[in-house]
Amino acid sequence: MAGLSVENVTKRFGETEVLKGVSLVIADGEFVSLVGPSGCGKSTLLRIIAGLEEQSSGDIQIGGQSVAGQRAADRNLSMVFQSYALYPHLSVGENISVPLKMRRMNGLQQLPLVGGFMPGARNVASDIGSVVNQAAGMLEIGHLLDRKPGQLSGGQRQRVALGRALVRDPAAFLLDEPLSNLDAKLRVQTRAEIAQLHRRLDATFIYVTHDQVEAMTMSDRIAVMMGGRILQCAAPEIAYEDPDRIEVAEFIGSPKINILPLEISSEGRLSFHDQPLDLAIAGGSRGVASLGLRPETLWLSGGEAPIRGRVAHSENLGSEMFVQVDVPGLEERVTLRAMPELRASLTLGTPVALDFDTDKALVFDADGARMRKVRRLSAAASEVA
Amino acid sequence: MTRDWWKHLLLILGVIIVLVPFYMMVSYSFKSPGEIDRGEGGFFGRQELMVDERCVKLRDPSRNDIAAAVPQFPGLSDSAIRDALVDEAMAECSMRPVVFNYTKAFTEAPLLRYLMNGVIVTASIFLIQVVVALPAAYALAKLKFWGRDAVFALVLFCLLIPVHAIALPLYIMLAKLGLTNTYAALVVPWTISVFGIFLMRQFFMTVPDDLIDAARMDGMGEFTIVWRVMLPTAIPALLAFAIFSVVAHWNDYFWPRMVVTGNRDLFTPPLGLREFKGDGDGSFFGPMMATATVIVTPLIVAFLLAQKRFIEGITLNGMK
Repeated sequence: MAGLSVENVTKRFGETEVLKGVSLVIADGEFVSLVGPSGCGKSTLLRIIAGLEEQSSGDIQIGGQSVAGQRAADRNLSMVFQSYALYPHLSVGENISVPLKMRRMNGLQQLPLVGGFMPGARNVASDIGSVVNQAAGMLEIGHLLDRKPGQLSGGQRQRVALGRALVRDPAAFLLDEPLSNLDAKLRVQTRAEIAQLHRRLDATFIYVTHDQVEAMTMSDRIAVMMGGRILQCAAPEIAYEDPDRIEVAEFIGSPKINILPLEISSEGRLSFHDQPLDLAIAGGSRGVASLGLRPETLWLSGGEAPIRGRVAHSENLGSEMFVQVDVPGLEERVTLRAMPELRASLTLGTPVALDFDTDKALVFDADGARMRKVRRLSAAASEVA
Repeated sequence: MTRDWWKHLLLILGVIIVLVPFYMMVSYSFKSPGEIDRGEGGFFGRQELMVDERCVKLRDPSRNDIAAAVPQFPGLSDSAIRDALVDEAMAECSMRPVVFNYTKAFTEAPLLRYLMNGVIVTASIFLIQVVVALPAAYALAKLKFWGRDAVFALVLFCLLIPVHAIALPLYIMLAKLGLTNTYAALVVPWTISVFGIFLMRQFFMTVPDDLIDAARMDGMGEFTIVWRVMLPTAIPALLAFAIFSVVAHWNDYFWPRMVVTGNRDLFTPPLGLREFKGDGDGSFFGPMMATATVIVTPLIVAFLLAQKRFIEGITLNGMK
């Protein structure tokens, strides 16, 4: 077990710069997810950490030691691949034992057929056998050890791949979208199991995914990557509630956050579609900005409210209901979370007025950076009073 | 009649064209010289007892033989004894044509020795070809290095060079090294098979990169990956290549004829056929065809055994 740090790593493939200076420090035993849309460079970063790809510049340290120039085999990392990458000609048990055989047996003992007769081979083999059985037991695949990967279901192959990664005691586990080939139900189940495995092993996990739900549910911290950069690396709840950038706010959370255009008056007062809001920016100057509102921060208002439109679509999930509201002048619909009891009053075409929790409103400047110096005017007024 | 009948007709015609020479070969190996000359006797021939003229000639009684045989034939003249001895020899030298042909095949020339030479040469060629082709194909398919595409283009280019074009320079090189009339002369020129490299490279392209990365993470070096991951997954393709390689070199007449000139101990099976080349009397087609039958039988048996894997290999469906 060891911590891991990535220092200002860049990677170019010819002319294209895939990673533009990525830095990340991962503590020993931490579960960090690299999450982002496809093509953001997250898999490349993982492969660079693994040693399967070489960075163009920058440094990787594992346990405080630079691993520059070290082969993947010498970095003591385990990796689980999206395609599982099991050896098709070996049984499940042999697949799991490969990393141990490669490390614990010498060249003669690894020979096929005669290897078993080399001095010491029998002891090593029985040690390896017991470790394999233990790992198989932990993953509940003990009954599959004699099968070939071709005879297994997707979920079982996934477990074998996990087993192969955890038989030895690596400095860190690297997982590259390990759940994306599973069906939805199995994905939810395996998600929980991987999180449990992490708690049980207390090991460092680096998990690459494009699915923000996986990242949110499993990780200690998530690193949101876009365009070859880490935009924010924080605990899931912070990335959700307190994003640094509009891209992070838009990527994290399902359904997506609502983004409304704002104007800033010369005094810093914010207004939406010429309606002044109860919000102002300290030291703001005239310009435009964006307002990010999570669906759960919006509510139906009886009287005057800044956002008005008509119900265009609704999705009832049973425990909650998401209502999409067509607001004149906005390209995208505004999504609101409502109680399913209200569905009778929210039929298609019903005019609605939406108010929101000003404390939870997220304001971003024209470049997408978060503006944190936002205050409520009414609170300030009451303070003055 | 289905709409595809003409396809089958065409295929049947093709099969006939391929099989007729085999039919003739096997049929001739059963028949007596007379039947072969006159083109009669159906497939098996009549299998009437025939007399091996050479055998009789070899046993032609000499004056000493006749003198020695006098006690056996009391009261007969020398010429009568001679006739009796010739009759005896004729009786001992008569046999069924099939027995005659196949015995001749094995006794006239050391056919077993030739077959063994064939096995030694084809097996060595194939093994060394694999040892060279697998790492080369792996590098061309899966490793990134400067000039890879140029190297692969060279491989493709080499596929276009006919053996006969470079035979003479090769022969001269071997001769200067003093290697003519050795096993090395039969084996060495074939050890680098560009076809093998090309075929295995195409197969390796279908092996997922993740599998190789997984092997690297598991602690394998590049050569270990070639032998412990790529080789086992490539068995079907290797079998296909084995058939091409073994058939080509087992049946090769041209090259052994060039480099093995004096030493009959190094003859490969096709050179064995030369033993029955008509020496004036031209009556050795039976044994010659029997030899040919013996030579092709191992290949046909091997193909039938490996047929399923062979077709898998040809279609190159890799890991899917």
